[in-house]
Amino acid sequence: MTTTVERAPNDGHPAPWLAPAVLVLAVFYAVPVLDVARLAFSDATLIEPATGFSTQALRAILGNPALPQVLGTTVLFVAVNVLALQVAGLAIALLIVRGERRELPGMAAFRTLVLAAWVVPGIANGLIWQILFDEAPYGTLNSLLGYAGLGPVAWLSDPQMALVSAVIANLWQGTAFSMIVFYAARRGIDPTLYEVADLDGAGPVRTFRSITLPLMRRAIAVNTVLVSVQTLNTFDSILALTGGGPGRATEVLSLFTFNTVFYNLDLAGGSVLALMLFALGMALTLLIGWLNRGEARA
Amino acid sequence: MSAARWGDVATYAALALLGAFFALPFAWLISLALRTPAEVYRGAARFIPESPTLDNFATILSDPAFLIYLWNGLKLSASGGALAVALAIPAAYAASRIDFRGRQAVLVGLLAVQMISPLVILLPLYRWMNTLGLLNQHISVIAVYGALGMPLAVWLLKVAFDAIPVELEEAAAIDGASRPRILARITLPLARSGIASAFILAMVMNWSQFLIPFILLERDADWPISVAIFNFAGSVSASTTQLLAAACLIAVLPAVVIFILLQRMIVSALISGAVKG
Amino acid sequence: MTRPILIAALALAPAMANAQELVTRNRVGLPDAPNTLTFRLTAYDLYSSDPATSEAFEEMFRDFIEARPDWKIETQLQTGNIGQEQARLLQQTRAGRGPDCAMIDSSQLATFRDAGVLQPMNAVFSDEDVADLFPYVREAVTDEAGNVLAWWWFTDLRVLYRDTSVVPEAPQTWEDTREAALAAVEAGKEGILFNGGRWEGTAFDWLGNFWAQGGRLVDDEGGPVFAEGENRAKFLEAVAYYQDLVESGAAPRRVTSITDYDAFNAAAAAGTAAMFVGGNWQYGQMRNTLDPEAFENWEVSELPGPTADQRATGTGGWSIAALSDDPEKAELCGEIGKEIYAGPGNAFQGLLPTSEATYDEYDAYDGPEFDLFAEALQNGVARPGAAIYPEISNQIQILLGNVLSGTSTPEEALDAAASAVQAAYDRQ
Repeated sequence: MTTTVERAPNDGHPAPWLAPAVLVLAVFYAVPVLDVARLAFSDATLIEPATGFSTQALRAILGNPALPQVLGTTVLFVAVNVLALQVAGLAIALLIVRGERRELPGMAAFRTLVLAAWVVPGIANGLIWQILFDEAPYGTLNSLLGYAGLGPVAWLSDPQMALVSAVIANLWQGTAFSMIVFYAARRGIDPTLYEVADLDGAGPVRTFRSITLPLMRRAIAVNTVLVSVQTLNTFDSILALTGGGPGRATEVLSLFTFNTVFYNLDLAGGSVLALMLFALGMALTLLIGWLNRGEARA
Repeated sequence: MSAARWGDVATYAALALLGAFFALPFAWLISLALRTPAEVYRGAARFIPESPTLDNFATILSDPAFLIYLWNGLKLSASGGALAVALAIPAAYAASRIDFRGRQAVLVGLLAVQMISPLVILLPLYRWMNTLGLLNQHISVIAVYGALGMPLAVWLLKVAFDAIPVELEEAAAIDGASRPRILARITLPLARSGIASAFILAMVMNWSQFLIPFILLERDADWPISVAIFNFAGSVSASTTQLLAAACLIAVLPAVVIFILLQRMIVSALISGAVKG
Repeated sequence: MTRPILIAALALAPAMANAQELVTRNRVGLPDAPNTLTFRLTAYDLYSSDPATSEAFEEMFRDFIEARPDWKIETQLQTGNIGQEQARLLQQTRAGRGPDCAMIDSSQLATFRDAGVLQPMNAVFSDEDVADLFPYVREAVTDEAGNVLAWWWFTDLRVLYRDTSVVPEAPQTWEDTREAALAAVEAGKEGILFNGGRWEGTAFDWLGNFWAQGGRLVDDEGGPVFAEGENRAKFLEAVAYYQDLVESGAAPRRVTSITDYDAFNAAAAAGTAAMFVGGNWQYGQMRNTLDPEAFENWEVSELPGPTADQRATGTGGWSIAALSDDPEKAELCGEIGKEIYAGPGNAFQGLLPTSEATYDEYDAYDGPEFDLFAEALQNGVARPGAAIYPEISNQIQILLGNVLSGTSTPEEALDAAASAVQAAYDRQ
């Protein structure tokens, strides 16, 4: 960046370059986003337009006794998913890289299989897993477990297990994204580092801990942000899988928001929740960014 | 057997386990899609249907509306992905090449846009599109897809641009080429696999979008497959689970084909970016 | 001499029009017809993925539009996500972009009526037509002034299905049901299944048990009263019935994961369940999908009550309503309801008509099951015509899920549900 002298003066200014992106965001996003903020402090419903400023919706939502449970479920769902998605994504990425290095056949097919799950629409994902988790005597997974002599699992009817099942369904669909990111990051590591490690007689665990993991730290940080936010906003697969039940066992914040708007027709309340969802997403991003900065220095 | 051989066995064992997990739902969908209505309720006991039939696929594919839905889905997700990339290119270039104050803030700001789920702004968006007169027009969905996919595209493209040696551009600049010209002539061709992968990722994420087209498009002839597929989910008089399964498989197919065809490109783009990323 | 030619030409006209495709994917009628009605319908008839059904409805619509050459109907499809679709329809209508005529789920009628978007269709339906409706239907579709605001063209109800090879006699009371189910469990079956997951069907199927005791969800002003006074005791009784079924093992624990009537068809086909609480429409589905010998074992009976003479069932179904304030369009909308859906359309699909007269009019209703359905409909109760109903239903779903999975006691759950509903009501 020392050669700016040779360029025309306005070339150095970022505004014209950023203009298209900012313009489209402003035209299609700014107004709705401001509208959400306005609606949150109104008494609007889907049926009745807002009549004026009101903090009623805000107070009603914050005072809703269900909110702590919903937030707790959300935190648990997001935390477990982010961990599981990345462990699975990393494991698959490393396995495929190893397989390719050894020129084992079938790696591309496996990668395609994982990617295929990614493009299944969310609601279809919920419907498919609902069939698999069916607890009837002839249910798919329980029948398979039965052949192996394992007892039936209360996949969806037990409140705790239902959340685990929701995580499994999300894992099936969401792993592909982490896999791509980690696969690319791993392939981007200079192979000579591994050759050196090999010459030094380092075992696979040691190599993983001293080369792979440190060099992928940045990819992991970025992926954590993206995956957290994706998971936070996931609701369609849960909607189809359990509807949020049994009781409120799997009702995460995004589903709660969706229900508030589309079931209770409460636009103001839904907007308050929408802002909360946004704030949570931002907080997560900043938190992860901050944690990562600390690690980068260390 | 050498340690590497044992490693291969372990690799396959682990992949087999993971493969079973990822393949099971698809295997089940195929089993359902090959069933007659009478066999749908037989559950897992008959994983391989007694009288397998391709009728369900025939029914779906002979429905002219289904092909329209597929085409709409392709058109919307590809146009949305293209718009996202088109918007992201100059922004990513600025972030990569111009050292300006607030660059970090712009990047974080774009990430903030990524935080806004469609769910959050859905209803105001509906009203706003109505005000703009864009409701029921594909352009409205494409615009939202463009805005939605752009932040990730900026991130991917910035990484791709960063990987291109700045010296190449400087040489052209000394020859008197303007910055946009340099971008078009030198940077973009070199970053083409990065651009392709950003486009494909954006497109694939659009492919399974449900809420946005559902809210912004009211006429069923405009719907993409991700919305229309649920018409195969319900009926009063007969079970349509087998049709839904067939429709799901067909709907996933185009995206899978794109993956298979372009995998190498996506992967190489991401790798070249990841070196510096 | 010109007269016969004219007549011949007139007679030929419809045939020629036919050649121009009167029914297309998005239109019924000729493209250049001067008047247009936009009609939002469900995927169950004209758009059915079952070819026999869609062809039959195309025929009916063709006949309908041939008699009205000045009109074309632009058809719009709504997906199977009833809640979202109906919310969207309401939102669009309020924004002035709704269709002229639409199918509205009977559970949403009150919301649409309170929103003031329904236009009268009085010109189409005579006082006799209205008088012939079942009482709960009449109440839901008319306002105080006697305007016909919608035409509820088919209804449905919940009944107890049983496999007579396991449960020969129809249980009449809750106690009978429990005994019969426990006996079936001894015989290696699942005793009784019902919806217990998080969806509307759970609340609605269960409400029959509350209504059978004379319980009321809302008062005359539409305010929630289900947790007050004697309603509270009745509510807890009905919860205890389900709770006891699960805790005694008469019903499997998996009922809290059932969010779909198809689960019952599947259990019937697999022969694993002895009884289930299902919808009347499942009888036809089972006839089509079960082995004939297996199907013969299945019979329906009225939902059991706390005592043999306290019975009730929830009743649902779809209505058609005009959203356009153009009287001609409202009239055409009413005529579609009357001439297509409420009559031959119902008979074709085997759906339950909302008026006594229709049962006699069509042969489709000769089967013995329809006698039982018609009889049980006498104890039919519709969802209350109050805008708070969706939230009450939501809270009942949560309550049943929590109680049946052992997460909370009925009393705690009811208190939580009552305060949540009251909070929502206060904000309406």
